[in-house]
Amino acid sequence: MSLMAPIDHSASRPRYMRRRRLNFVMMSLSLAAAAFGLLWLLAILSTLVFKGVGGLSLDVFTQSTPPPGSQGGLLNAIVGSAIMTAIGVAVGTPIGILAGTYMAEYGRHNRLTTTVRFINDILLSAPSIVIGLFVYEVVVIQMGNFSALAGALALAILVVPVVVRTTEDMLNLVPNQLREAASALGLPRAVVIQRIAYRAARAGMITGVLLAIARVSGETAPLLFTALNNQFWSSDLNAPMASLPVVIFQFALSPYTDWQQLAWTGALLITLAVLTLSIAARILAAGSRK
Amino acid sequence: MTDASLQAPTLLLKPDAARASRLRSFRLKDNVFRHLTRASAVAVLGILSGVILALVIGSWLALSTFGIDFLTTESWNPVTEKFGALAPIYGTVVTSLIAMLIAVPVGLGIAIFLTELCPPVLRRPIGVAIELLAGIPSIIYGIWGLFVFAPFLQATLQPALISTFGSVPILSTVFAGPPYGIGILTAGLILAIMVLPFVTSVSRDVFETVPAVLKEAAYGVGCTRWEVIRRIVIPYTRVGLVGGVMLGLGRALGETMAVTFVIGNAHRISGSILAPGTTISASIANEFTEAVGELYTSSLIALGLILFIITFIVLAIARLMLLRLERQQGA
Amino acid sequence: MTSTDVARAAMIAPVPARSAAQPKVHVGAGQAEKITIRDLKFFYGDSLALKGIDLPIYERKVTAFIGPSGCGKSTLLRVLNRMYDLYPKQRAEGEVLLDGIDILSPKLDLNLLRSRVGMVFQKPTPFPMSIYDNIAFGVRLYETISKSELDGRVEAALRRAALWNEVKDKLDASGLSLSGGQQQRLCIARSIAVRPEVILLDEPCSALDPISTAKIEELIDELKADYTIAIVTHNMQQASRTSEYTAFMYLGELVEFGETEQIFMSPHDRRTQDYITGRFG
Repeated sequence: MSLMAPIDHSASRPRYMRRRRLNFVMMSLSLAAAAFGLLWLLAILSTLVFKGVGGLSLDVFTQSTPPPGSQGGLLNAIVGSAIMTAIGVAVGTPIGILAGTYMAEYGRHNRLTTTVRFINDILLSAPSIVIGLFVYEVVVIQMGNFSALAGALALAILVVPVVVRTTEDMLNLVPNQLREAASALGLPRAVVIQRIAYRAARAGMITGVLLAIARVSGETAPLLFTALNNQFWSSDLNAPMASLPVVIFQFALSPYTDWQQLAWTGALLITLAVLTLSIAARILAAGSRK
Repeated sequence: MTDASLQAPTLLLKPDAARASRLRSFRLKDNVFRHLTRASAVAVLGILSGVILALVIGSWLALSTFGIDFLTTESWNPVTEKFGALAPIYGTVVTSLIAMLIAVPVGLGIAIFLTELCPPVLRRPIGVAIELLAGIPSIIYGIWGLFVFAPFLQATLQPALISTFGSVPILSTVFAGPPYGIGILTAGLILAIMVLPFVTSVSRDVFETVPAVLKEAAYGVGCTRWEVIRRIVIPYTRVGLVGGVMLGLGRALGETMAVTFVIGNAHRISGSILAPGTTISASIANEFTEAVGELYTSSLIALGLILFIITFIVLAIARLMLLRLERQQGA
Repeated sequence: MTSTDVARAAMIAPVPARSAAQPKVHVGAGQAEKITIRDLKFFYGDSLALKGIDLPIYERKVTAFIGPSGCGKSTLLRVLNRMYDLYPKQRAEGEVLLDGIDILSPKLDLNLLRSRVGMVFQKPTPFPMSIYDNIAFGVRLYETISKSELDGRVEAALRRAALWNEVKDKLDASGLSLSGGQQQRLCIARSIAVRPEVILLDEPCSALDPISTAKIEELIDELKADYTIAIVTHNMQQASRTSEYTAFMYLGELVEFGETEQIFMSPHDRRTQDYITGRFG
């Protein structure tokens, strides 16, 4: 093997130079790759700011989506997104936490846990549009109409795997000593988990929920044929509801420049929200590790 | 300094009435909580089987009408109600391949940069920036692709490709004009940008599993950085890297919004990757709410089923690979 | 000590014939037995970690368990409050009587058992909550008592653990903000606040500095007036200082049990002598 060859400096000099050159080329390429990757982040963010800031005004937050050619804002879409995300998180989080709890506390290493972990990891990256189809089949067709509830349910299904994953990981980090110490006082298992283990893993679990919110608040595909869209203000959970991503989708693809402008503004808002959430989650996670 | 309040009231294991009722309520709560968590874990499995079941039922009409031909037919005609999945499948596979062709080498390059080359001060910020890129909603990539990236390609890369390869056999068909801006290639490139952070962060995590002593030993015998990576790091992490790449592929295959904006939504298979096309998810996103007739809807759901099966297989392989790396590490 | 230590120790020595390993128990009669252990066997999966232990633990006395790592002394302690029940694949056979009631019985309520048999661990394990809540937590769960009564109980427990003077002005501070020695005393206070009858100490000083260790030993001396105490220790001086009775264990067997003075001054078994004189372990 060439690695093992003894180094005779006079004889191997050209060979050594060649190795050096190859090393230099490959390292430069990796540097270029990193620059290339960051370039896109910069390109996307700067376009967003550049195109989005121009449309920011009070109207965006106080008026509903307009018909083409007239003044309007994104109020109904923002509120719709908030409502559906809130319901989705409220439904998905408990299921995710409970399932993660089973895996880390009751069923560590057993077969059900291994299976659920495997399936959950797949659901984590499964195409979200398929979840939309599922909810369409199960809810929209059964109820007979598109509704905010269906949209929220689709989002809830996307929340579950994120929360399951972080809950299990974080509870696994809680030292067993702590559980033993609590059990040694005669505390029942449920209390040990709810009052001690959850408390010790709290920061990590909140991080998971934040990441889940960040993920679903930008989701478009699962809402397209569940919550649909709504041109007007609506808080009726049983009726179609606007959401920021779907409005962006519709407006961006429209031929009207004022709609396109609103789409850019919406895109900026959503990106800011998502980035803020992910950064907050990261800070929280970093803080809890100390 | 004996304190009476710390003396046990009875010395027997037989509890008094108050304590007995507490213990009963503990047992009840314990059981309820335990079953609740177990039910939730089972619910995760339920979601998966529910999705599969719903898709199978929803696509039954299309699958029973067209049979296996559904997979091999290119035509997609809502007027005559003739539907075939070949064009979307083709588009899905080709765009994902283009994406992986670009994202894998670049992602690996960034991962190498982050683990081996980057000054420690910059390691975290750059790593975080790449991960943030992964968190940006896909619709942002879509709108950016449509308004910024596609016109840019239309003016630069696409004419260059057409003129460069215009006289080369085979390649002239692959890069046949005109430059639309949108199309299969553009969708593939956008997907590459989207998948890049996934590939990067998984590869970086995987690279970090290489024991430091192994690398130090190689540096100790005079290896250059590249030789250490090529001979030690990559062989050691091969399984994990394949897993990471498959994970990225799974994402690319199922991605909807970034693609829908720039693919052109044309149900045909063109020899040229500059031509518009469609993918499974883009077809569903574009047409589902406008689909008239049960067969049309059912055909779209059948597309969803196919997509789910493909991504399920790819993601399952990815997870198994990563699991193998974990075991190797644990052993 | 980890389960793998135990497993390893158990694998080194094959299971001997039962009758050959009958330990010698030399104790004067007339003491009340709080716990009686009869032919106790313990398994981690398939490996045998305790090979038939017979032993009394006397009421309101300190019994020390000594022996080299992996001899099964911590395992034995963890049987006494059935802590092993938290883990699948660990099981005990034989008889352990607490006041005449078999605590290995599957019908036994574990929460009740553990509220009667307290345990303090090697590393201090304060709960992630305030000092006050660390102690009040367990009490509140089992008893409905008024705020003032609870305050009294917390204070009494902290005084009993010789911690009151150091923390009385910062009861709302996190338990994690205390020093290692204080944390350990907090854990002792926490476990006596729920009014146990037996306290199990699993190498309670091995993570502490000499001054904190001295304080804990003093505390043990005071606590034995009210509680039956079993302590596992690596430190032979500690065993001789704190205990009335000592059990020497080796490779999952009880080699010798007797009054501490006798064990340390004139052990009957060769292995005991070798161990306490530092020839192995």
